[in-house]
Amino acid sequence: MSSALAIVLTAGLVATACGLLGPFLVLRRQALLSDAVSHAVLPGIVLVFVLFGTRAPLAVIGGAAVFAVVCVLAIELLRGSGLVKADAAIALVFPVLFALGVIGVGSFASGAHIDLDSTIYGEIAFTPFRTWELAGVEVPRSIPLLAGVALANAALLAALWKELKVSTFDPEFAQVNGFSPRLISRLLLIAVAVTAVTAFESVGAILVVTLLIVPAATAHLLADRLPVLIGLTLAIGWLSAIAGHATAVALDASIAGAMGLVAGCCFALALLFSPRHGLLAVAFARARRRAALRRRLGAPAAGPR
Amino acid sequence: MGRLIDALPLDYTDSVVLVGAVLIGVSAGVLGSFAVFRQRSLVGDALAHATLPGVCVAFLAAGAKEATTLAVGAGLAGLAAAVLIVAIERTGRIRPDAAIGVVLSVFFSLGVVLLTYLGNNGDAGQAGLDSYLFGQAAGLLERDLGTMGALCLASLALVALAFRPLKATLFDRQFAGSVGLPVTALELGMTAMLVVAIMIGVRTVGAILMVAMLIVPAVVARQLTDRLATLLPLAALVGAAVGATGALISESSGQPTGPVIVVTGFALAVAAILLAPGRGVAWRAGQALRDRRRAAAEGVLLDLETALHAGPPPTAEELALGGGRSVAAVRRALRDLDRAGMLARDGERIHLSRAGAAAAEALLARRRLWSAWLEHGWRLRLPDAREPDPADLRGSLGDAAADELERLAAAGGER
Repeated sequence: MSSALAIVLTAGLVATACGLLGPFLVLRRQALLSDAVSHAVLPGIVLVFVLFGTRAPLAVIGGAAVFAVVCVLAIELLRGSGLVKADAAIALVFPVLFALGVIGVGSFASGAHIDLDSTIYGEIAFTPFRTWELAGVEVPRSIPLLAGVALANAALLAALWKELKVSTFDPEFAQVNGFSPRLISRLLLIAVAVTAVTAFESVGAILVVTLLIVPAATAHLLADRLPVLIGLTLAIGWLSAIAGHATAVALDASIAGAMGLVAGCCFALALLFSPRHGLLAVAFARARRRAALRRRLGAPAAGPR
Repeated sequence: MGRLIDALPLDYTDSVVLVGAVLIGVSAGVLGSFAVFRQRSLVGDALAHATLPGVCVAFLAAGAKEATTLAVGAGLAGLAAAVLIVAIERTGRIRPDAAIGVVLSVFFSLGVVLLTYLGNNGDAGQAGLDSYLFGQAAGLLERDLGTMGALCLASLALVALAFRPLKATLFDRQFAGSVGLPVTALELGMTAMLVVAIMIGVRTVGAILMVAMLIVPAVVARQLTDRLATLLPLAALVGAAVGATGALISESSGQPTGPVIVVTGFALAVAAILLAPGRGVAWRAGQALRDRRRAAAEGVLLDLETALHAGPPPTAEELALGGGRSVAAVRRALRDLDRAGMLARDGERIHLSRAGAAAAEALLARRRLWSAWLEHGWRLRLPDAREPDPADLRGSLGDAAADELERLAAAGGER
């Protein structure tokens, strides 16, 4: 497998796994939880290293996932006290977990080359070189790992489609009809945490956060129906992966960063030109309404009296 | 500034870090409060990440790592991010959290691209630009303190001058607009202040930890007061205290300053959320427990009064049987009543003391008045439409109205 193909495939799989969950996060106004989780997992990674002396992917993913769940539950607990709003709860919890991680790196792991930017948070350019042997073929290990996560997310959506939909759009209605919105919300957030953590290890935090939020927000500007929204999100994610890789090669710059920039360009285009919710469409509609109103006010005899 | 640093009983570097931490705490405390109340706590996160491309561009433009240029670049990028967030939100389709997330990730991606681009093009001087994000308290210079102090004072003065318009915009946007305040400009101003606070702090504590510095003081102060005019100085005080404590702990333990400050602040915030008088989780739980015990004691007092009218003084077991309560609950209530001097014991048998009889009488009168209010309250001509306080009906209605209620109840509703 060529390394360019491995990188694009890895990024595409991350885009798929994130694109299945991202629309729900955006619709539930929880988009920033992904950013919170991406920082909060640091102590888990350090703890695994300190306790077991390993940076093996599955152990690291396990440790990080524990802290991702701790982060999500702590945020819910703080919010449940009714004394701090959701956004402040997020802003309280994740910096402290990150701070504990930084202190941990400084105290226990400084000799072991845990370096904040790349080793912990992955670097997509290295994916072709970290391989597993599956059925006699050398495969970059990120591909089976991420394919598994994407499949798990798809299974979650298939199994809980109706529940997710109803609890996202109308939590009270869901409650009345016997679906527990809290339980579904927890499940979704745990899925986000596991996805994020698995993906960090292979492609880095910033790309995961970008792919969870930006394609979904872009699609939200273009689509009004949930299946269309998810389909568009996936398409934009893959487009960012492919075009981002090409851009990075052309510019000789960070691959993850370039993919994020392509996603950002998609968002900017949608923001300007979306036929229903874009800035231009809204401005045109407003101008038309204003002109129509002026016409009617200017010619009162023509209007119905 | 120099004299202040000499006056501190610490060595030079530690004093500089301490003063810097206090300055960051004060400015982040006051300026962050506005973000917390607009429910935009995480704007700080986006702006702090957005400083990265600004730093890179400033480095490209100036060709050297010069602190002031980098700070200006960071500030301009932060401002651009802030304006973009507001603009995206204005479309109405994209919610604040998604707008913040999009701007955060795109700006940071841009920063990463610029950083690697600089690195790959042989600009060796770029190394360490990303330390802007993780923060380095030890790199703080006395010269920086002067700039930080000036920025801090200027922004605080601005808040003090524009306090009333800011308050109006913060809590009631429509009202502020209708009395002719420039609402959009004020909101942009609040976000610009956030950018200033981040510029002051980000190099010392790092981008991610800066988020906590902006939020913690406001959350702590909010638990202690309901008034913005009290809250802002309180938040400044909390910020300064957190900064100073964190800096001192970090100096004595040898841990990095930023993370220690954040952990200290988080501990304080949790303590405030648990223990704040009148609001805290533990405080409310204690209050609920006290209320339940008082209600149980009152119930047993009335049961006892009724039993004394009906026959010989009862034992605790008889009281429990008559009132449908558990014996343990009755015994606990009796202990409370005994402590208040309301009981007279005769072996196992229980009488009311004189104080107890008076208390039972007062309690009954209060309950009668409450029933009368429920039944006849609508007949009263009250000066205003406020609901009276059920715990003190006579006090909140006034004696005249309460007497009228009792008269109505006695007359069976006839006028």
